Amino acid sequence: MSAVVSKIREPLITGGKSYHDITEDLCSPTESVPNATWIFAFVASVGLLTVGLFCIFWTIWFGIGAWNLNRTIGWGWDITNFVWWIGIGHAGTLISAILLLFRQKWRTGVNRAAEAMTIFAVMCAGLFPALHTGRPWFDFFMFPYPNSRGPLWVNFNSPLLWDLFAISTYFTVSLLFWYTGLVPDFATVRDRATGLRKKIYNFLSFGWTGSAKHWQRWEYLSLVLAGLATPLVLSVHTIVSFDFATSVIPGWHTTIFPPYFVAGAVFSGFAMVLTLMIMTRKILSLEDYITIEHIESMNKVILCTGSIVGVAYLTELFVAWYSGYVYEQFAFYNRAAGIYWWSYFGMMACNVISPQIFWIKKFRRNIFITFFMSIFINIGMWFERFVIIATTLARDYLPSSWSYYYPTWVEMGIYIGTFGLFFVLFLLFTRVAPVVAIAEVKSILKTGGDQYVGKNATHAHHHAASHDHGHDSHDDHHAH
Amino acid sequence: MNNQFTFEGKQRTTLIGFIILGAICLGLSFLDNTVPYHMRFWSNFLHNTVFFTGISFISLFVLAAFTTAYGGWYVVMKRVWEAYSQFLIVGLLLMLVIIAGVWGHFHHLYHWAADGITDPNSPAYDPILAGKAGFLNKYWYTFGTIGFIGMWYFVFAVPMRRISVAEDTEGTTDFEHHERYRKFSAFFLPIAAFSSAAMIWQWVMSIDSHWYSTMFAWYSTASWFVSALALTIMTIIWLKSKGYYEQVTDEHIHDLGKLLFAFSVFWTYLWFSQFMLIWYANIGEETIYFKERVTNYPVLWYGNLVMNFVLPFLILMRNSTKRKYGTLILCCLLTFFGHWWDFFMMIKPGAKINADHAYHAAHSAGGDHGHAAHGVQGFVSGFTLPGFLEIGIFLGFLALFLYVVLGQLAKASLVPKNDPYLGESLHHHV
Repeated sequence: MSAVVSKIREPLITGGKSYHDITEDLCSPTESVPNATWIFAFVASVGLLTVGLFCIFWTIWFGIGAWNLNRTIGWGWDITNFVWWIGIGHAGTLISAILLLFRQKWRTGVNRAAEAMTIFAVMCAGLFPALHTGRPWFDFFMFPYPNSRGPLWVNFNSPLLWDLFAISTYFTVSLLFWYTGLVPDFATVRDRATGLRKKIYNFLSFGWTGSAKHWQRWEYLSLVLAGLATPLVLSVHTIVSFDFATSVIPGWHTTIFPPYFVAGAVFSGFAMVLTLMIMTRKILSLEDYITIEHIESMNKVILCTGSIVGVAYLTELFVAWYSGYVYEQFAFYNRAAGIYWWSYFGMMACNVISPQIFWIKKFRRNIFITFFMSIFINIGMWFERFVIIATTLARDYLPSSWSYYYPTWVEMGIYIGTFGLFFVLFLLFTRVAPVVAIAEVKSILKTGGDQYVGKNATHAHHHAASHDHGHDSHDDHHAH
Repeated sequence: MNNQFTFEGKQRTTLIGFIILGAICLGLSFLDNTVPYHMRFWSNFLHNTVFFTGISFISLFVLAAFTTAYGGWYVVMKRVWEAYSQFLIVGLLLMLVIIAGVWGHFHHLYHWAADGITDPNSPAYDPILAGKAGFLNKYWYTFGTIGFIGMWYFVFAVPMRRISVAEDTEGTTDFEHHERYRKFSAFFLPIAAFSSAAMIWQWVMSIDSHWYSTMFAWYSTASWFVSALALTIMTIIWLKSKGYYEQVTDEHIHDLGKLLFAFSVFWTYLWFSQFMLIWYANIGEETIYFKERVTNYPVLWYGNLVMNFVLPFLILMRNSTKRKYGTLILCCLLTFFGHWWDFFMMIKPGAKINADHAYHAAHSAGGDHGHAAHGVQGFVSGFTLPGFLEIGIFLGFLALFLYVVLGQLAKASLVPKNDPYLGESLHHHV
């Protein structure tokens, strides 16, 4: 990375941190006793998880009839929640892989937590199709292993099977990516620890010594994984969209689905990262590492992906009219003005209209508004999936089969339970691993620390020099 | 370092020579009436106009996107894209010819523009097109084209260029020029997203007037983007060979090469998504578009994938090929021609069907829509494959494009001297 930094860039690490300060600040949450806020949050999350476990038990005991799925609406909350969680899982790999390839330095403040979030979100997502099979103990049938089931074989033509491969691959690569980043940081924690703790962290860091060879291989592996993860992050939601778009159902079969699902996934993923990071930076006092500048950058990604989603919604609407195909036209009329109009309205309001306030810099840099918006977007993206799934199925080709779907308490309970699972895992993560990537933040200190760049830089000669460099050609030109 | 490009007389003469060649080829293609209503001429004219106008548009889009994203690395060569964006006005003038043809019925590029299409009492009545008439009509076509290209050019391309050039002489350390440039950029992005989609539907998708695909606008925009990148790399390497742009190093070229690789794959992603979903669902109204191309234009069809995906993917995969000018230029030639070929395939088959259809409708007494014999259609020069005339026209339009671009490049320094990110760009390394 270039050491020359433009004068108009804002610092990404504030508080004039030294390398030692960074180690201290980022390791301390793993070394201290949790505070009351954390304990309260943990207990509450375990409570939600318990609700979820009870409802899962109920579903398995009484069968899938405990859900309100019916003849026409075979997919309800389960698949809505599945797609929603998978979407949230997109931000982590986007930040770690694509932003790494684009050399965005601000990723270092949030990548670790976002990757962790990805892994937990994919776990929550996986739960729904697993339960939807009704007999989860037979779920291994979904894998095309050499079997003793005779001619029974998985359907390779089905996008649902492709989905299984896409998501399990994605989960594996995300996990590897996350863990690779953690290795040097675990070593840092180990070096400060004693006794059994030291042994555990030594094991977790694979005996990392920080030799030049270790770093070289580590960097190489990071790049290879980034290269693999970039097409993967696109493929996962692409294939989720294929679940719908390969069908002949009006409103589902549309060619824009793949890129539009990916954009929507990134959109919701960033919203969830913001929700989590705004809380985490407060509770763990990480305001110097996850700065307003980070929040503003993420808000810009949200504005961009939100608007892409908006363009896609309007494209769909327009082409439904343009197609001259009455069923397609009805499907969209039904979405906007049918029985589930409120969910279409919620989707438009939360995903397209309200994020437009981020055109204004003041709002992008306002933590309260950002937090509020991030929740809003998560609701909106949930509505989007509900609109696509339930609205369409409730009004299919055969009016005699038309029905209205609403969830039972069991379905709601499982959804609530996934929040419990997600937050339990995330809260545990904040205690055992550095929430911000220590080694990666250190790598940008000289080009992102506020003592080096920005208005209040004290090491002024550094950027003054860079500014002069910028004028080399300028002076040359005057000499002509 | 020499940062002031001079557009030499010899270069002008060469380019004018090619423009004349293009004009002659265009004229000759008018005489070929194998496909009725001079369709070879009209489809060539539309094809090249849309292709080069699109490159100009997408260059402005790239500038706006990079500026909004706080990009720094590209700044040293941003004048090339600024110059590209100035071609928009020529694109608009060229589109006026097509528009005149829509009003005067000089061509049958668009079946929706034919007389009586929306009139239930006319033998030409087409209920589907009557349903689309709110969008597919000559007013929309005319005012959309003039309004949107005009807006891209007058409201964005010209002021952005003016601010950027003014920054060279009046730039301050407060970077207020850059601030203004950034505002234009941010506003351009959403406007460009909507308006380009609307115009692509009008210009290209409506040739196959019954067919529709929600992906189409994004797909063809990606095609423009890859062509613009390929042409940019070739322009910069040419300028370097003339002794300009010493500051543009292998590091910059490497990054442009990476973008070429990445967006070739992205284009393929969109291609695959559009094709696979239509193939899988197998709805007749949608598959007919691909059926026509796979059956009657197999060389175009497979060549498209080979030139725009297989070869650039394999060649640009290695790091070193993105830093060697030889292989990089080979890939740029492939993808630049390849995406021109892609637009050829988007336009030509539909245009031929429209002309044949109109001819049969006019020459069969009972108003019976004369269907061409089923089976594979024979070789039709200028349609089945680009012929020599098409190559000549392509070179002519390219020369016209370069003539405008080089003229613009000569008007200002090649390096934006007071851009706040120039320092980063000059010290860029991968």
